[in-house]
Amino acid sequence: MPKTILIVDDDPNIREYLETLLTDNGYETIVAENGEKALEVLAAHTPDLITLDIEMPDKTGPWFNRALQRGKTYANIPIIVITGHTGLKYVIPNAVGSLSKPFEQKELLDLVRETIGS
Amino acid sequence: MSERLLLVDDEEDIRRFLGMFLADLGYEVHAAENGAQALEMFNAVNPSIVLTDIKMPVMDGLELLKQIKAKAPETEVVMISGHGDMDLAIGCLQYDAADFVTKPINHDILDAALKRVEEKIILRRELKQYTQNLEKLVQEKSRRVIELERQLAAGEMVETMCQAISGLSEDFGDKAGYFNEMPCFVAVHNRSLTVVATNQLYKERLGDMVGHHSWEVYVGQAIRGFDGPVWKTFETGKGQRSRETMLCKNGRELPVMVHTSPIGERDGKVELVLELAVDVSEIKRLQEELRVTQQKYMDLFEATPCYIAVRDRDYRIVANNTLFKQDFGEGVGKLCHEVFRHRDTPCPDCPVDATFEDGTAHTLEAVVTCRDGRSKNVLTFSAPIRNAQGEIVEVMALSTDITQIRELQDHLTSLGLMLGSISHGVKGMLTALEGGVYRLESGIKRQDMTRIADAGDTIKSLVGRVRNLVLNVLYYAKSRDMAGDPVDVSHLAQNVAQVVEPKAAREKIAFTCDLPPDLGMADLDTANLSAALVNILENAIDACTADTAKDAHAISFKASADADAVTFDIADNGMGMSQETREKAFTLFFSSKGLKGTGLGLFIANDVVKKHGGRIDLTSEAGEGTQFHIVVPRRKAEATGS
Repeated sequence: MPKTILIVDDDPNIREYLETLLTDNGYETIVAENGEKALEVLAAHTPDLITLDIEMPDKTGPWFNRALQRGKTYANIPIIVITGHTGLKYVIPNAVGSLSKPFEQKELLDLVRETIGS
Repeated sequence: MSERLLLVDDEEDIRRFLGMFLADLGYEVHAAENGAQALEMFNAVNPSIVLTDIKMPVMDGLELLKQIKAKAPETEVVMISGHGDMDLAIGCLQYDAADFVTKPINHDILDAALKRVEEKIILRRELKQYTQNLEKLVQEKSRRVIELERQLAAGEMVETMCQAISGLSEDFGDKAGYFNEMPCFVAVHNRSLTVVATNQLYKERLGDMVGHHSWEVYVGQAIRGFDGPVWKTFETGKGQRSRETMLCKNGRELPVMVHTSPIGERDGKVELVLELAVDVSEIKRLQEELRVTQQKYMDLFEATPCYIAVRDRDYRIVANNTLFKQDFGEGVGKLCHEVFRHRDTPCPDCPVDATFEDGTAHTLEAVVTCRDGRSKNVLTFSAPIRNAQGEIVEVMALSTDITQIRELQDHLTSLGLMLGSISHGVKGMLTALEGGVYRLESGIKRQDMTRIADAGDTIKSLVGRVRNLVLNVLYYAKSRDMAGDPVDVSHLAQNVAQVVEPKAAREKIAFTCDLPPDLGMADLDTANLSAALVNILENAIDACTADTAKDAHAISFKASADADAVTFDIADNGMGMSQETREKAFTLFFSSKGLKGTGLGLFIANDVVKKHGGRIDLTSEAGEGTQFHIVVPRRKAEATGS
């Protein structure tokens, strides 16, 4: 059974890009355009990994992460940060990795594979 | 000089022969035959020596001796004693006779006796003369001492007066000390036109003139004869005032103002004259110096490229410089806060108040309003102005116009913000572009036509975003004036609609236009205004695509015009704006679109419209939609710079 990845990003083009890239590499994907929507998704799905943008309108990446860490259910889902900001890794201290935009496809895929396998 | 000698004897022969002998010795001889006759003659002859026989009729020698000694004790009386009256002769010595000779008279003895007497007389005379000389000397010395004391007293008087005058000038608060500094030569003269006393400065500059003639210090008066002020004062008994030229010790001529006044009157005559001479050249120099200094201060006050206002405790401006008057109008007499900041009440952050309070300088950065309505950022320094008692009476406020500095700073801050904002935006776009390229490539590999088409759209839209970003950055980087060529408004609006239409269609948004073909001409910058309208319309598209709450979205674009202005209305039913977003919509680098926005679009659209002399009104409700109402005047002349 393929692993599921939740993609959280406000830019529809980037969501589409990540969706296609990860699907092409054998993963199932779910998308959300901000932190709030992502929480809604978690009510129905339990992803194996989350890629998380930092700056989004309304509910940001850190807001979403704090919500996750408060409960026990989702606190252990690994998070990969993908952001246009540099030097902002510390805002998601529990992230397994951080990529800055524009990222290398191989780098992302290697990190995903290392974290949840293929 | 021959001594007068009175010879007294009752024997005629003796009178004759002795008389001849005595005359031979050099005496002026007068003879009497008894004491009574001798006394009678005594007053007339006034002899210094009396040679008298003892035994004589009528009055004897002893009686004569007594009477002469009573009358003129200095007269030397020599007794001639006959045979057998030696005792009597010796007794005469008790009555102060000088000597005695015995009969028959030995001429040598008589000669010796007379010589002794004569020596005695000379000695006495010398003594008397010496005593008289001594007395005269004492008198002379005493007079000199008195004279010196008077001069000393005059000198002291001069000094005391100088002190009193300078003391007085200090009491009058002559703080600059001009009087003390003032070269004032003081001298006292006596009736014989001699200087008897001077002050120190007189001595230093004009020389030690005490004892010299009063006119010697005046240039030219020795030649024309003394008719100077000192002389006139003695003559008239009244004070004089005149301009004179005095000669310095070093030979330099000195213009002076001389005042004289009589002092000490004796027997209706002026005894001394006080002469006060003021160095006028020095005063002239000081006056000139003062004038130059005042001029310098005035120049400084006027020419300083700052607004200078001096304010009292009642908030009244008491002085202001040219630049102040230029930008704020004449402020003297007006209230500071009214002139400077158009306030009815004193400004709470007033640095001048603070200076009145603690006497130290304060600074404040504030925005003030010129009389033509322009706002200026000023940095104000306040400094106390104190009176002679050290009390703060006024405070000077010196304001530097830092508007340009602030604008530059804003620009620099903006640039910094822009770099951050743009680089963030560019990163997002690059990532999305890579995504488009990936999907294009993988679509081609898989022969997935849908994916290829999709990727093409994505790439196209992203290229559009990059293009807008670059244009906006270029617009911002260069501050440019709007072109104002007459433009067909309908044509411009239609072109804008053509640009936006396909984008709306791609996002499945209903795009309706109401663009009448007869809107006429207006002075517009086609490129910039078109870009601004496209920007607003693209914002509307973004607002619709971001809104997931509604099933269908629509955007309307309407243009209308009257004689003076052209109006564009753009409305969407997208996500709408919160109050904060609405208020900050036109702020530089504010974006509600996360990665997609650079915060430049609406800022520039607003800037362009403002530069056309127009305005943008914005109404929006979160979740409901947004309406932009853009009004631009037809004529460029009405435009004002932003």
